[in-house]
Amino acid sequence: MIKLRAVFEKKDRAKYISHLDLNRCMLRTFRRSGLPIWYTEGFHSHPYFSFALALSLGYESSCEILDFNLNEEIPFDEVRDRLNAVMPYGMKIISVAEPKLKITAIAKAEYSFSLKSDNINALVADIERLLNNDEILVEKKTKKGIQSVNIRPFIEVISGVAGAGAYNMMMRLPAGTQTNYNPALFFTALKNFTEIPFEVADIKRTEILCADGKIFK
Amino acid sequence: MLREKIEKHLLDVQKPSRYIGGEVGSIIKDKSKIDVRFAFCFPDTYDIGMSHLGMKILYSLTNERENYWCERCFAPSEDFEKIMRENDIPLYALESLDPIKDFDFIGFTMQYELSYTNVLNMLDLAGIPVFTRDRTEELTQIVVAGGPCVCNPEPLADFFDLFILGEGEEVNLELMDLYHKMKKQGASRKDFLREACKIEGIYVPEFYKFSYKPDGTIEKVETTNNAPEIVKKRIIKDFDKVYYPDNFVVPFTEIVHDRVSVEVLRGCLRGCRFCQAGFIYRPFREKKSGTIVEQTKCLCENTGYDEVSLASLSTSDHSEISPILSELIEYTADEKITLSLPSLRVDNFSEELLEKIKKVRKSGLTFAPEAATQRLRDAINKNVSEEEIMNTCRIAFEGGYSSVKLYFMMGLPTETDEDIIGIAELSQRIIDLFYSLPNKPKGRGVQISISCATFVPKPFTPFQFEAQDTREMIEHKQKLLLDSVNRKRVKVSYHDANVSILEAVLAKGDRRLCNVIYTAWKKGCKFDSWGEYFQFEKWVEAFNECNVDMSFYANRKIPYDEILAWEHLDYYISKEFFVRENRKAHEFTTTPHCRLKCSGCGVNKEIGGKCFD
Repeated sequence: MIKLRAVFEKKDRAKYISHLDLNRCMLRTFRRSGLPIWYTEGFHSHPYFSFALALSLGYESSCEILDFNLNEEIPFDEVRDRLNAVMPYGMKIISVAEPKLKITAIAKAEYSFSLKSDNINALVADIERLLNNDEILVEKKTKKGIQSVNIRPFIEVISGVAGAGAYNMMMRLPAGTQTNYNPALFFTALKNFTEIPFEVADIKRTEILCADGKIFK
Repeated sequence: MLREKIEKHLLDVQKPSRYIGGEVGSIIKDKSKIDVRFAFCFPDTYDIGMSHLGMKILYSLTNERENYWCERCFAPSEDFEKIMRENDIPLYALESLDPIKDFDFIGFTMQYELSYTNVLNMLDLAGIPVFTRDRTEELTQIVVAGGPCVCNPEPLADFFDLFILGEGEEVNLELMDLYHKMKKQGASRKDFLREACKIEGIYVPEFYKFSYKPDGTIEKVETTNNAPEIVKKRIIKDFDKVYYPDNFVVPFTEIVHDRVSVEVLRGCLRGCRFCQAGFIYRPFREKKSGTIVEQTKCLCENTGYDEVSLASLSTSDHSEISPILSELIEYTADEKITLSLPSLRVDNFSEELLEKIKKVRKSGLTFAPEAATQRLRDAINKNVSEEEIMNTCRIAFEGGYSSVKLYFMMGLPTETDEDIIGIAELSQRIIDLFYSLPNKPKGRGVQISISCATFVPKPFTPFQFEAQDTREMIEHKQKLLLDSVNRKRVKVSYHDANVSILEAVLAKGDRRLCNVIYTAWKKGCKFDSWGEYFQFEKWVEAFNECNVDMSFYANRKIPYDEILAWEHLDYYISKEFFVRENRKAHEFTTTPHCRLKCSGCGVNKEIGGKCFD
């Protein structure tokens, strides 16, 4: 059994494939590729696919991680090309390699998004005021039910660029097997904070990172 | 741009991937190079429509032609329909995301009567006038329909420019070719329809005028515009060589039949007297075993599906079923593919076949005796004996099965209370059989599921002349069945009587129903086949407002010499045959299946000789 890790992008119409459907979609993609998929032993034999992080429906990504197993050693580039030849529109394998780190090494994820408003200057001012607070409380669904959490300490703003009718932000948030903060929490907080109507567009996960800020491999 | 408008709302609806296309296997073309655009519409949601085999065949076949583009379109669910209406998003096709109102053809497949209101709703959502009389004179936006329900298309006559009768693999392209030619010549819609009706299999309803007698029955049907007096359905002569897709559109979201489907035979040789499919798809034709195996492999490889099913009306009637199964079982086991085999018959269910099936499925077995007493089975020509049913159950039980699902019908012609009680008695004999077997499955009790449908008389069957039971009779029989069965071991399910009544009216109806369907839709009826949406009271209001009596269509026995609403359509089965078969039903006389003896239904005249060597 050969353990492999693929980085893939999910864009365009493919962003509407739900996490549940993605597993089935990948299985069929692998079957179409004719690659020698490794199946689990046991009574209900099935192929092994593991996605490092779930991606919200409607979000694009350029950095999704899929772990899978093959029965034979095949050059990484060949695996990538054979999969890409039969991938659904909007999905593409960027690279295939041996897994270097354990999934538990994932600590955060970076997102880019666009906040659209007719009154962009006022919105940007409100965003700055919001982020200047030490405490930003939002309701978050946890295993223990809905809890009010302070998300401010977890928000790492990377950039914010105002353009015509839009404010484009990049932001890092905790991600991984333990804690996950979805940028939707920030959008909710902003909606609660500002009077200015805005819409969120083009949400995209751009990196999956380790605690030290290095790219997860 | 429409796409932006759609995407703006897509995350507010359930299963958005149904509304945006982009699936593997979907075909995108450069529309500047396209001469004819066809929107293949299924009048139900994506999850149901995407399971339909006919669409897969005709989609791929049309798209093989470089300059034609066939796209898919489904009824949106309630949540998305609301958004579409609020935001002026017209009904669009999934490949280009272009509005279907700009297409050359808008083609619906009519698979069940209870989807009729969805057609009107989809046309309305598309911004296309629902009545043909309100459509443009220009040659564009031709609204067409095919599928089993168009064997009596009269209740839909006011909504469609033309109907395609029979198998579409050849005639669809002929129709598109004619359109292409006439469009270049600058012809009008009417010019096109006048030419189209000369193609065999094309029925243009506006060229036929019905007149009625004072008692409401049909007096005569007159043709105009030189349309043929009798319109014949289309048949594919060489079924083994007929086009079959080498790829399917593979959906992201789960659909009802989420698998490869390979058609193994078309038509049916059995002649059960209630079954419309058994007659309208005649003659019986098989694909060669090599073709079936090759198509299975090809489709599994191209789609990546890990499940395949053999599609037909009666798979075990294939003359080479055993070698086909042997080969497919070997292939599917090697490739870790699940093979499913619907439509097996009780009487030719051998131990050899069971051995093969056991390798592929672990769940329960389903059989359709349809009636519980021999007399009634003889009346409906279900040529199955009690011995065969018991023998099959014994083989199944000894093979390790402990649950059996049985399909019955209720309200069949000549049926009495004894026949209903007979269902309970037959189930009890099966239960007793289970416990009498020394080698029955250990540690488990037997479970019998009975699914009891209400008989709906259908056009082009020997029972087309029959009256359906009234609601009171149906409800009485349903209660009787529940009271008669062993409730511990037998689970009974049956349909809402109102659904079956409406089905009968729509199936046997004529043009006077067009207004009823329109009125019902205006009152909010849609998705009538979905229990949660079915509003029978609205339908009753519609019938009353239009002064149409449901019982005239559902509960009236039709004399043999009455002109039927579908008599000007020729499905190659003669009326004399149906009359003969109807008489035999009332005499409880059976007709052997076509391989044993030709019953002279008439279809052999079309194929020019015998159906079997």
